[in-house]
Amino acid sequence: MKPLLSRGFGMKVMTSLALSVCMGSGAVWAADASSDTSADNSAEASDQNHVTPHVGTTIHAPRHGPAAAPGINVDISSFPQSEQQEINQGHALAVAGDCAACHSLPHSSDDQMFAGGYAISSPLGTIFSSNITPSKQYGIGNYTEEEFSRAVRDGVRRDGANLYPAMPYTSYAGITDEDMHHLYVYFMRGVKPVEKPSPETQLPFPFSIRASMKAWNMLYLDQKPFENDPDQSEEWNRGAYLVGPLEHCSACHTPRNVMMAEKVGDHYLAGGSVGSWYAPNITSDEVSGIGSWSNDQIVQYLKTGHVPGKAQAGGGMAEAVEHSLQYLPDSDLQAIAVYLKSTHPIRTSDEEKARFDYERSQTEGLEDELRGKHPQNSNHTMDSGAALYSGYCASCHQPDGSGSKNQAYPSLFNNSVTGADNANNLVSVILEGVDRNADGHHVLMPAFGQNSYVDELNDTQIASIANYVTKTFGNPDVQVTPEQVAQLRAGGPKPLMAQMQPYMLPLMIIGAIVVVLLIVLVVVKVKRRKKRA
Amino acid sequence: MSEVKFASNGDAQADVIIVGSGVVGALIANQMRDEGHSVLIIEAGLRINRAQAVENWRNMPLRNRAGGDFQGLYPQSEYATAPLYFPANDYVGLSGPNGSSFKQGYLRTVGGTTWHWAASCWRHLPEDFRMKSLYGVGRDWPISYEDLEPYYCKAEEQMGVAGPNDPEMQSPSQRSRPYPMDMVPWGHGDRYFAEVVNDHGFKSIPIPQARSTRPWNGRPECCGNNNCQPICPIGAMYNGIHTVEAAESKGAKVLAESVVYKIDTDSNNRITAVHWLDTDGASHKATGRQYVIACNGIETPRLLLLAANERNPRGIANSSDQVGRNMMDHSGFHCTFLTKEPMWLGRGPAQSSCLVGPRSGEFRSDYSASKFILNNINEVPGAATKALQLGLAGRELEAEIRRRAIHGVDLSISLEPLPDPNNRLTLSDTRKDKHGLACPDIHYDVGDYVRKGYDAASEQLRQIGQLFNAEEFNITTSLNANNHIMGGCIMGSDPSDSVTDGDCRAHDHDNLWLPGGAAMPSASVVNTTLSMAALALKSADAISQALSRDAQGATA
Repeated sequence: MKPLLSRGFGMKVMTSLALSVCMGSGAVWAADASSDTSADNSAEASDQNHVTPHVGTTIHAPRHGPAAAPGINVDISSFPQSEQQEINQGHALAVAGDCAACHSLPHSSDDQMFAGGYAISSPLGTIFSSNITPSKQYGIGNYTEEEFSRAVRDGVRRDGANLYPAMPYTSYAGITDEDMHHLYVYFMRGVKPVEKPSPETQLPFPFSIRASMKAWNMLYLDQKPFENDPDQSEEWNRGAYLVGPLEHCSACHTPRNVMMAEKVGDHYLAGGSVGSWYAPNITSDEVSGIGSWSNDQIVQYLKTGHVPGKAQAGGGMAEAVEHSLQYLPDSDLQAIAVYLKSTHPIRTSDEEKARFDYERSQTEGLEDELRGKHPQNSNHTMDSGAALYSGYCASCHQPDGSGSKNQAYPSLFNNSVTGADNANNLVSVILEGVDRNADGHHVLMPAFGQNSYVDELNDTQIASIANYVTKTFGNPDVQVTPEQVAQLRAGGPKPLMAQMQPYMLPLMIIGAIVVVLLIVLVVVKVKRRKKRA
Repeated sequence: MSEVKFASNGDAQADVIIVGSGVVGALIANQMRDEGHSVLIIEAGLRINRAQAVENWRNMPLRNRAGGDFQGLYPQSEYATAPLYFPANDYVGLSGPNGSSFKQGYLRTVGGTTWHWAASCWRHLPEDFRMKSLYGVGRDWPISYEDLEPYYCKAEEQMGVAGPNDPEMQSPSQRSRPYPMDMVPWGHGDRYFAEVVNDHGFKSIPIPQARSTRPWNGRPECCGNNNCQPICPIGAMYNGIHTVEAAESKGAKVLAESVVYKIDTDSNNRITAVHWLDTDGASHKATGRQYVIACNGIETPRLLLLAANERNPRGIANSSDQVGRNMMDHSGFHCTFLTKEPMWLGRGPAQSSCLVGPRSGEFRSDYSASKFILNNINEVPGAATKALQLGLAGRELEAEIRRRAIHGVDLSISLEPLPDPNNRLTLSDTRKDKHGLACPDIHYDVGDYVRKGYDAASEQLRQIGQLFNAEEFNITTSLNANNHIMGGCIMGSDPSDSVTDGDCRAHDHDNLWLPGGAAMPSASVVNTTLSMAALALKSADAISQALSRDAQGATA
């Protein structure tokens, strides 16, 4: 997952809501028969093999348990045993750090891994991920271990320029020295150099001045590596290390302040906007967070991206599951669960009902209300949320919102997306769909935004569907306007800093004094900080 | 990258003018746009959206649904009538011994008739291209299977075809590239049927289908709603609209509800403009460098005849008098029975297996080849109708519906017609559409070749019935249309008896292209869309060469 982000539209489609039948879905039809042809049954037999006509051979072998994560694309079998081990350790860390999600293009081939070029559309502009293969010309082949560490943990490139915090160095700062060494060995020796430049990031002024990040870092970068808390169990400490420095959960799940830094103090993991998506509260609070989930449910979610009756991963979370979390050993996932369940519970003000506890308001007759109102050859009668839902959504999610029996197409009630106190994920999943390849299943809910394969819906249509869904199946207090859909389509709500961008240059020209004041502010704050420390 | 230019009076100018927005026109538009040419698509019908068709279908009376009314749910422009049969609107006037077997269903709408196809993506066999040479009947194509093969591959890739990669299960197996996706898996009925018949030479194999068996370019997997016809509700099946939208996203322009009726030619008989009528009856003109007419097997010859001008008094592209002649379709019939063992058909897409044993052989010098599709359309409506006729009620009724739905088999048989110039589309003297343009008339006689093929196929079907110990075995005696309209702008090497060359370029007009079913000189027994798409892509390459020659000419 990436901080600040909101991935470029159309670059990599994301998920959240629905999903679909997995790789083996064909088995749908090989399943036991009944005369019911609805999608309800169809999604059922997803784990069965495809059977070909004559011979009954398996076409897609279903995968049992996670395969090895891709990422070592060099033949290391002739390397000394100790080096192989270091590479493997580094690889496991790179997987846990989810480096590939940003530094590889979606669906890129094995030999193009870590070549960068992925467009991360941050509220301040598009940031391109860099080539981090050991190419000496285009990648990090000339980096010493110290320079590598400075880039990853301090956000400073070899040439001294600052990185933008789209690179989650504020989280990676907590990676231990030993792990940094393994990561370095892995990237230098286990990854094939790709001799290809990644596009240059060009943010608008004043964000184009990378040096401005120096001041920001003074305020918001804590450079201390992670240290075990001796009062806690080994498992808890492992979980804390994974949730914090490696998986950088906080980058998305913690809200950001006006300077776009994580509000880690009082709001750690309390939920935050990530472009058009919303990374929900994952503190241990039983209402607003995931305190009511069992550890096994948390593990299942991280491994598969889906817990029926609770939630399914979309957007950046689908990427985190696909590229990183599904490959972690169960012991690590359990450790994450243990740690998350121990976090300080934060209740979203006034919230009384968990987002996954909303039941549908109506169970029967939903479709009947639509029938017989228009002639069979009508045009332009898709004018209500109910009609649009029926035409575009109900074939998979069913007219009564219950999804398929095995929940391969998830129910729309008891679902975090429809019960949330904001409709960002509901609208985003309609716009961008879900594309999540995890646990041997490739889940695809089609996008209905621009260049949809199924049909492109406009802002009003999406708002109508979203309102019908929240009213009928989810949190009825949530209302969506076409304007909100337009905003999410354009990448989500803009933080203050991004809104101010057009005024910054004139302001600066007129009053250099502002800069001076800022410097004073920084100095004062740093002094205070030092005092505190 | 050049762009379509519109004048204030609505006239348009583009490099490539395409009449018709179905799969053929769309594929050409998409490729032309990829190559940077400006593209205008002019479509007579409405632009619709998927949910409208889905909801209309759900609002249809059971009589239409059970009767297979795939046309009636699609909203029509009153200025671009398409055939309707529930009740019949007699847009196409049918006559001749088998006129009633030529009730074609096709849509006039942005995206075309693949809105309601079954997505079967068959290739012709190599021998289908050489009917005259090999069997002494019909016509040879001016191109070979090998010439078209790369375009078959390209069409399969663009439409996302799922097919078997075991050569034993392919028809034909001569392929240079694998299918983009693995075959649509078989259900119990397909497997069981193949087990029973395959030892007897019937060769039941998977139907290659433009339908997702895995997520493909943002297209979801088929989840077995079983109503591919008349509309895939989730977009798992390829429709021409997908390629229309792809071309539009790159800058191609589509004018809907714009009925082309007139074509201008210059002294070299090159096309200089096409004219269309808008919904107010106002006429506009589109000028371009290359012109494609891809309105389907009936509307393309109709337009060419309608557009007769002084230089081309018999119609555009019609110096051979072959435009509108040689009309073909895979006239078909059905064989139904109840099996002893349960079949459990009706899961997954509408069709997934087909018997191709009788697809080819020396017998073709005497009588028509055939193929038998094991229909996978849910049997419940038919079972319920029959059970009600039996006067049953209550639990007995329910049990009988179940029994019939579980054991019912419906084979859809296609026969291969030969091109016959007497099977002819002409313009009606009496019936006009709302713009006052003559409606089409078609005279049709399937001929003895097909009639003998029907007898041979019936014999084979009786054998199949015996293999299944069939109950209530029935073969329909009247032939039905299969909507695979071919022949009306037949391709050939001799301009005196054919309309286009092997690139679907009109013999009479250097810059006019007529790709699609109408150009096909032999029908084979398989659904035509993939061949039409391959011909479209072959034309597209030739059009692109013609454009670059134009450009060189201009700079020279």
